[in-house]
Amino acid sequence: MRYEEQPGVLSWGIIVVVTCLILYLFEKVLWLVIPGLLTLVGYYCLQPLVQALVRAGLKHRTAGRLVTGCLFLVTCLGVFLLFSVATSRGAAWKTTATHYVQGGLNFVGSTEAWLEEKVPQLKTSALIRSTPKNLDAVSEQFVGNYLGSLLLQMVYWLPSLLLVPYLTYFMLQDGNRFKKHVIRSVPNAFFEKTLLLFDRVDQSLRSFLMGLMKLTVLDTACLGLGLWLLGISHPLLLALIAAMLAWVPYLGSIVACIMVVIVAATDFPNELATTYCCIILFLCVRLLDDFVFVPLTVGKSLRIHPVLSVLMLFLGAAVAGPAGLLLVLPVLGLVAVIVEMLGQILGDEHLRKRFRHGRVLQRTMAAGSN
Amino acid sequence: MSLFKELTTRELRELDALLHERSYQKDEVIFDEGDTGLGLFVIVSGRVKIVSSHAALQRLAPEFGPGDYFGELALFEESKRTGGAVALEPTQVLALFRTEFFSLLERDRRIGVKILFELSRTVVARSRKLLANEAHLPTV
Repeated sequence: MRYEEQPGVLSWGIIVVVTCLILYLFEKVLWLVIPGLLTLVGYYCLQPLVQALVRAGLKHRTAGRLVTGCLFLVTCLGVFLLFSVATSRGAAWKTTATHYVQGGLNFVGSTEAWLEEKVPQLKTSALIRSTPKNLDAVSEQFVGNYLGSLLLQMVYWLPSLLLVPYLTYFMLQDGNRFKKHVIRSVPNAFFEKTLLLFDRVDQSLRSFLMGLMKLTVLDTACLGLGLWLLGISHPLLLALIAAMLAWVPYLGSIVACIMVVIVAATDFPNELATTYCCIILFLCVRLLDDFVFVPLTVGKSLRIHPVLSVLMLFLGAAVAGPAGLLLVLPVLGLVAVIVEMLGQILGDEHLRKRFRHGRVLQRTMAAGSN
Repeated sequence: MSLFKELTTRELRELDALLHERSYQKDEVIFDEGDTGLGLFVIVSGRVKIVSSHAALQRLAPEFGPGDYFGELALFEESKRTGGAVALEPTQVLALFRTEFFSLLERDRRIGVKILFELSRTVVARSRKLLANEAHLPTV
């Protein structure tokens, strides 16, 4: 069957170029892309609930309102609880955070001392001399260099993140109607193929998100088990945060690794070996993730060759930085589906002939009625 | 419409989200013989002629009117259409796409069973008619 053919070299060239162009544009309007992505996640998570309520006898509109209303209530409740807990336990949290950061710094200091002992030449290294030795120095460096821009970033992102529940609501309410409206505007000749295109795009997005969820569960289970065996505190929570951070390829993993190291170094301040074991465990899970879990989950769902995935990750990072790393695989998967389908629709001489015939009939009809 | 006659109001509402309305001019091709079938069409108004290179099929159902449906085999398998469909007059149809119907089947089997039962009846009736026209084949 024609639409099961794989794209050729030229098609893949077009797919790569279009993906890079989209990533470049997305990087410019990231404030809109991230809420859009979160909206899609919300839509695909909540859509089954809406459908279940429709099956139970509610009208689609009522079901959509009910689900988003519940989501809004849960969010408000969560924010309220977080706020009340934060105000009552703020001081304790600050102490804990300070404790962990100091633990991490102690680990860096111990590692440096060990390295200097083994390799004396490192004593004069600029890297070692520039490392802050205590919490005050870190705080001073953070406030001086990063706090202002961090606060500005938060102010910049807040309004666009508020778009997420709003957009999710309208996608649940009118997503299907919008899709039908778009399909209605497609000429009759291309109608069936366009429906197939929409279905493929929907399947790709759904598969990608499902793949990502499966990957997160697998990562959490593996890392959580390892951390539990090593005796690290809150292994499951740490593993879950690390697995979610890994949604941003490479960069997320680095941040997650630092987090795990800090916790391990604080839990076992006098046992450097445990912290090193954590690093080794983390690297093993990453390798397992990259070479086994990702091809089995996300890669399989997007039907992209692993080599192309890795190359595209580098290209995505070069074109759009960390945002490119995050977006490159889903964008590549979608562009591949769209280019492949458009090639089949527009390249089909038979369909184009039918389209021209339809237009002639329409003109004849219009002339007749005048 | 005979295909949906067993459905309740609630089930019709759920199905409605999956149906696509299309309008065709007189003599406009709806699909051609040899196209990959992706769904079935239910006629709301107008008339549709089936054109097939297979004489037996041509004799079987040369024309369809309001309430009839055609292209039903595409709902069961992604194979080439055995005949083409052309609008004989300005025609409005509802299209039910195969993968959307399958997603409905996964969500609500009851609707699926009702539609599939009606479809089976039609397929059986058309098969019998086809066999009856072929003198060398026995009617089962």
